[in-house]
Amino acid sequence: MPELRKDPVIGRWVIIATERAKRPKDFKVEKEEAKKGPCPFCKGNEDQTPGEIFALRRSRTKPNQPGWDVRVVPSISPLLAAEGDLGRRGKGMYDLMNDVGAHEVVIETPEHIANIADLEEGQIAKVIDCYVERFLQLEKDKRFKYVLMFKNHGRAAGGGSLQHARSQLIATPVNPKRVKEELAGARKYFEYKERCVFCDIVKQELKQKERVIIDIDGLIAISPFASRFPFETWILPKKHSCNFYDIKPAQRRDLAGIIKRVMLKLKVALNDPPYNYVLHTAPFRRPKGGYWKTIDADYHWHIEIMPRLTHVAGFEWGTGFYLNPTSPEDAAKILRETKI
Amino acid sequence: MDQLRRDPVVGRWVITFMDKPYAPGDFDIKHFPDKKGPCPFCYGHEGMTPPEIQAHRQGLSRANRPGWSTRVVPNKFPALRIEGDLGRQGVGMFDMSNGVGAHEVIIETPDHKKTLADLLDHEVEKVIWAYRDRSIDLHGDKRFRYIMIFKNHGYTAGASLTHSHSQLIALPMIPKNVNEELAGSNKYYEYKERCIFCDMITQEKEENERIVCQNSRFLAFSPFASRFPFEVWILPKEHHSDFSLIQTEDVIELARILKDVLLRIKSVLGNPPYNFIIHTSPVEERERADYHWHIEIMPKLMHVAGFEWGSGFYINPTPPEVAAKYLREAKI
Repeated sequence: MPELRKDPVIGRWVIIATERAKRPKDFKVEKEEAKKGPCPFCKGNEDQTPGEIFALRRSRTKPNQPGWDVRVVPSISPLLAAEGDLGRRGKGMYDLMNDVGAHEVVIETPEHIANIADLEEGQIAKVIDCYVERFLQLEKDKRFKYVLMFKNHGRAAGGGSLQHARSQLIATPVNPKRVKEELAGARKYFEYKERCVFCDIVKQELKQKERVIIDIDGLIAISPFASRFPFETWILPKKHSCNFYDIKPAQRRDLAGIIKRVMLKLKVALNDPPYNYVLHTAPFRRPKGGYWKTIDADYHWHIEIMPRLTHVAGFEWGTGFYLNPTSPEDAAKILRETKI
Repeated sequence: MDQLRRDPVVGRWVITFMDKPYAPGDFDIKHFPDKKGPCPFCYGHEGMTPPEIQAHRQGLSRANRPGWSTRVVPNKFPALRIEGDLGRQGVGMFDMSNGVGAHEVIIETPDHKKTLADLLDHEVEKVIWAYRDRSIDLHGDKRFRYIMIFKNHGYTAGASLTHSHSQLIALPMIPKNVNEELAGSNKYYEYKERCIFCDMITQEKEENERIVCQNSRFLAFSPFASRFPFEVWILPKEHHSDFSLIQTEDVIELARILKDVLLRIKSVLGNPPYNFIIHTSPVEERERADYHWHIEIMPKLMHVAGFEWGSGFYINPTPPEVAAKYLREAKI
């Protein structure tokens, strides 16, 4: 009998197939051809991107020249443009505003390496330093309410054909709907239980163990109970914290380590699948009549990694119900046992 | 300057390209070859599916034999099972239940090569009657709270078989997106005492820049905050909340406009993959003043990536005004 499972934070239901459960080899990962021609993200080609916003560089190297380890540049085709006012307005019953925001690309390595799984732990730690730095800077711009940090790897995940590891930051002038839902769900749980829902998830997963992939000192990687996608993986800090960019330098190294191991396990177990990963963190708290009063206690930052192995079809779009052909317990077991 | 547009019902934002909109030729549409081997939805292969639930048949043909024009069968690989109780339970902090539900397939034509857009008007009518009949029947099962009818056309839209078919899933809970839509339209109704979709029809007719086509009973338009390029909604012009209460004349006009819109999409974009979904009221409270049933058609022209997943924002490179113009002017 298939199971219906409910996500405890935002309340969406997932159908978990128990019979005909899919194993890694059942998913067809289509291999893509690499784009030909010089890569604008490689060292030496710095002039092929817009001028850098920030970079971690060796001493005495100049901006937009080689000598960097991680480099942040504006997107060549930004989804949101940085200048101007919001200009919120109505058109009859409809609402609209200008597309004000920021869209940045974090180039994770000067070498032409496609997957973050193949970077050194120290290099990933530098990428995390860059994220933190950009969050701190973007918070200063009062027009922005949220920064979404995400990564599209592989063409089927929207990563295009440029095979050079990078992540993206988009600063938005409104809190995105998905983020609001998660915040509302976490707040509701807190109002009822006076505990953080994510802390409770961490505790239950550590006790049950069957969905744990990696358990290290301050962090845990799990297949969530109501995984939407086969081999969906979340990384959470064990200690409660709502703001990603409050992460201490020592913990950045541990986070880099667990990201590397999770990504490598996914790469090995699933034959380098396309994936998205998204950082879920608290919004910039612009004052709003008591609105944020419990967020420090009720929300918990984490990373959600979604391998893109199945096509999301009409049913999922229409309902917000997901069909997952691999149970999270099976997925966690396979990933736990994957040798890296 | 590009725009951020807000969907008035559920409040999601869409980044809409205004400066350099994508034209139909800018999308890279992949066509996948047909699966090899016999097709279970073709004449003579009735034995390859579970026994039929209902069928439109001519003359004296027998069940599970050729002679049908539309045929409804249980899904051979159902996402949910029809037998059993829900058995809702908690596992520590988590909630779950058994996967009880109905999962049916509506085979729209015996002709392997035809898409829904290629069928004759009266053949499309039979498909709509099948949707209606199955909805009514499943409304009688007390375990089910929502009946979702949808179609996946093309491999990247999730269709595993090319032979034209739609699906029906009866669910034991009201899905999250449906709840959001109901909550959004209810909020509007409480404030204005008008149906939000009725207001949308009025404004679309007044502005007349997003309409694709219309007939005496239905309006097809590209919604103001379209999530996807060339997204089209079809709404009954009169206020009705429950699709399954559709009357004969409406079935005739719905068949015409659905076929018309699908043909326009096919002609402008070159048979792209798409999904459509019938949005209707839940099993309880079928007739309500604050909700309006409709069909949402979503061509799958782009990859949905990390930003959309994480934020619930969508990126639409073709403004609905531009899309509607292409579709309006399509030669069909």
